[in-house]
Amino acid sequence: MEKRKRIRLYALSTCPRCKQVKQFLEKHNIEYEDIEVDLLDSGEQWVTSKELKKYNPDATYPTLIVEEVILDFDEESLKEALGIK
Amino acid sequence: MTPEGLYEVLSKYAASQGIELNRDKEYVMGIMRGLLKNQERYGYRSCPCRLASGIKEKDADIICPCVYKDPDIKEYGSCYCGLYVSRQWNEGKIKHIRVPERRPKEKQA
Repeated sequence: MEKRKRIRLYALSTCPRCKQVKQFLEKHNIEYEDIEVDLLDSGEQWVTSKELKKYNPDATYPTLIVEEVILDFDEESLKEALGIK
Repeated sequence: MTPEGLYEVLSKYAASQGIELNRDKEYVMGIMRGLLKNQERYGYRSCPCRLASGIKEKDADIICPCVYKDPDIKEYGSCYCGLYVSRQWNEGKIKHIRVPERRPKEKQA
């Protein structure tokens, strides 16, 4: 069974806590999509904020999204990913 | 203004209010750079830990020191961004937790 992780960081370029999360991810060689919302143009910022609010209604920064993409059916892996004992 | 210059100004301001700047200087200097970047791009020093709209009237409540600073320090010992803190917070007598966002959602950019 194939599992992939998609990691996205919603951040502000000015926020020191966002920087701490980035440093942590980089120290552990984790690849991630870095979305610095304050650097987007106003239209993109609006769309991205809406997207962020689906995960974190408070839209606070940093918000890290770790999504596991599971392909095919493998009961053990599904249980592990979903926390089913 | 340089980040160091702003640090000096805000240290004095904090002392005048009976509070302190976070003793984690490296972290605080990151906030100073963020404040100066916002000053440069928006014309005012909005909170670097929040998304500003770029419209001063809309961002008035999050211009540093934000209007939420006092209740946050009273309740958690620290402002939302972790810049202004109480002495007890700096001395580790108050548990350091993530300060929840007090700003109403409808005001967010």
